[in-house]
Amino acid sequence: MKDKIEQRKDISDVVISTRIRFARNIKDYPFPCRMNREQKCRVAAIVKEAALGGHSAISGRFRYIQMSELTQEEAVSLVERHLVSPEFISDREGRGLLLLDDESVSIMINEEDHIRIQVIRPNMDLDGAYDLADKIDTLFDEQLNFAFNDKLGYLTQCPTNIGTGMRASLMLHLPALKESGAMGKISASLAKLGLVIRGMYGEGSDPKGSVYQLSNQVTLGISEKEAISNLHDIAMQLINQERSARQAMAENLAVLDKICRAFGILQYAKLLSNDECMKLLSDLRFGIEIGVFDHIDYDTINHLMIEVQPATLMKNIGKKLTAQERDQIRAEVVRTALMRKQVPASRRLE
Amino acid sequence: MLCQSCEKRQATTHIKTILNGELKEFNLCNECASKLGYGSFFGNFGFDLDKLFGSFLEDHSGERNSKRCSFCGSSFEDIAKSGKIGCAHCYEEFYEDLLPSIRRIHGRTSHTGKLARSAGTEVRIRTEIMRCRSELEKAIKTQEFEKAAELRDRIKELEKSMEEEKSSVRGKEG
Repeated sequence: MKDKIEQRKDISDVVISTRIRFARNIKDYPFPCRMNREQKCRVAAIVKEAALGGHSAISGRFRYIQMSELTQEEAVSLVERHLVSPEFISDREGRGLLLLDDESVSIMINEEDHIRIQVIRPNMDLDGAYDLADKIDTLFDEQLNFAFNDKLGYLTQCPTNIGTGMRASLMLHLPALKESGAMGKISASLAKLGLVIRGMYGEGSDPKGSVYQLSNQVTLGISEKEAISNLHDIAMQLINQERSARQAMAENLAVLDKICRAFGILQYAKLLSNDECMKLLSDLRFGIEIGVFDHIDYDTINHLMIEVQPATLMKNIGKKLTAQERDQIRAEVVRTALMRKQVPASRRLE
Repeated sequence: MLCQSCEKRQATTHIKTILNGELKEFNLCNECASKLGYGSFFGNFGFDLDKLFGSFLEDHSGERNSKRCSFCGSSFEDIAKSGKIGCAHCYEEFYEDLLPSIRRIHGRTSHTGKLARSAGTEVRIRTEIMRCRSELEKAIKTQEFEKAAELRDRIKELEKSMEEEKSSVRGKEG
């Protein structure tokens, strides 16, 4: 199996999900940083009507959430599920969220811009995600008067987003590149290409779970399609680098030991902290990626990585939990998910 | 406030993030922020604006300092300090002041890509011409000469209507 790592067609061993985000503003209102509460409520009402009103083709599938009505756990869980930004829940007054029934589209109202349309798709699906975001955007454009300038394109509160207002991102699992210490260098060379890469979970240079987000940085003077194809091409190079690094580590006994220990702990632990759990899930995923295990699929790990997050854990249980209770339930959730996949671990464990 | 990462330099970047189920806020300096992958572009933006602001303070002794956006009331100082633009009209009001920073952030200063319904005729034609040109290039590469000829004619037509549009705008202004 290992000799095929670099030639696999399916790239879901590296790419977890795709995200497209558009930033839009309504011309006749100041940007959110200069709006008072009343103006925020009016903008929220206008956007809500544009999405849910009779003219909208997708109205039946969206629900509107007034952010101020959520509990803290529900709000944080939205961030953990990548549906809204941390900034969005830091002050929830006058903010609204439109959520598609399957949670693949979220529209933040009055975040940094009046409207933030976000489409998330599993695996690599830049074109599919873009097409849907584009359709929703056109729907809003027909009913709202967007802030647009012939020279600068779509106008946004932060000048880093003007032009297309589009941010395209890929969530990538890069354990081998991280392990090899190459991320710093990669990050510096990506910056020169107008892209940025950062850790998805936790702070700092030690992203938990080795999950990274790669996105375009430049939005002015480059069309949406060009930006997407640019991101795609560079992501493919990064994927190849990650796979070569994996290939080089696939025989390393210390690496294999780490992976198998992770599997052991995840199956039998009674308490798992969030940090430990993310690290072990990442190690286990690495094991699947290099062919140590083949009875667990990537979806199981992808779902677990979100499900074990503290607020989402509490939201699913339906009550507040202490840290230790969370660690206990987290261990249970992981154990149950892995138990369902119970097939003797593969030949390499012999 | 000192940077919470190195505890040496002044913090200039404010970051909100979720850590273990709780919303946390961090204050970092430019160096640490960019090391951790946060908004190096934004950091530069703030820095450049400060410098810009400083330089025109010397030149204009506060004359432009008092200029405010007629729609939202933002001054350029407000924008430079917060790194946030007040409203769509600020981009017109402070266009010349913002341009150097915009160029530094994006490397370019002219939009290509999707157009809003409110976009003008001229930019529509310009975008269509650019689209046809790139298709023409492709057609030539793949030796589809008939298609290339059609595209060339279409570009000529578009360029003509662009000229007409420009002169009609000039006529209105005159």
